[in-house]
Amino acid sequence: MLNNTWNNIIEWFRDRSERAKLIRSFNESAKTSFVSGIAPTLLKASISKGESTYKHQFSNWLYSGFRIQAFTGRILKKEELIHIGNVILQNDTLVRKLIVLGWDTLEVHGDAGTYGCRWQLKDYIPLPKN
Amino acid sequence: MNDTLINDSIKIINTIIARKVEKGESINWWMWIAVVQFLIIIYLIIKDRLNSKNTEKLRFKNESLAKDIDFDNIINSSFNSTKLYDELKVKCHPDRFPIDDEKNIIADKIFQEITKNKTNIKRLIELKEEAQKKLDLNF
Repeated sequence: MLNNTWNNIIEWFRDRSERAKLIRSFNESAKTSFVSGIAPTLLKASISKGESTYKHQFSNWLYSGFRIQAFTGRILKKEELIHIGNVILQNDTLVRKLIVLGWDTLEVHGDAGTYGCRWQLKDYIPLPKN
Repeated sequence: MNDTLINDSIKIINTIIARKVEKGESINWWMWIAVVQFLIIIYLIIKDRLNSKNTEKLRFKNESLAKDIDFDNIINSSFNSTKLYDELKVKCHPDRFPIDDEKNIIADKIFQEITKNKTNIKRLIELKEEAQKKLDLNF
């Protein structure tokens, strides 16, 4: 019992670190691409509240949204936001990683207000039974 | 004589029973042993069930975390894959090779791969090179 609790604590900290690492890697790549001119818009990943109805067995209790926001540069059209979402959703490895790290919602937002799109991650990968 | 002996024996037995009931040692001990055994069995059953579920989840989690992600490719694909996909789907369409059967088969294979990887620019570039070599195309 104690061993189990101890493992859970260690796993919680490991997940936190993996989440931070994933967001940092995404932001670094986005920054490099923007600076070198590959991407016309600077994207930034962050953790958001998420949608409570999208929960699955790996979901975090709070803050289960993975948000990508378009910052400086050209303002993106809705089709472009959807395309960014599709690129992420069609990358099975990334979707699996997002799910096991506790995210259940993918959000792609424009710079201003709440303009953007939202997807339920569990629709894109078969999960082990509860 | 006999009566006094029987009376004394009964008195002694009564005193012993009264003491034992007062202490309640024998009844409590057995009850507690049974309770502990029951709890141990319940704990082992729950632990076993939780372990089998956790193993499957844990395997899925470890497999997912072990793989690396190419974020540069994701960002690049987010902005540049559509243009390349549109170009490739026109140039590599199997209908463009109606006479040459061999090229038609190769184009069909490449076209299917292009459709499957339309949001993966790294793979699309590889397919473009393959099309240039095998289908003699100029981009």
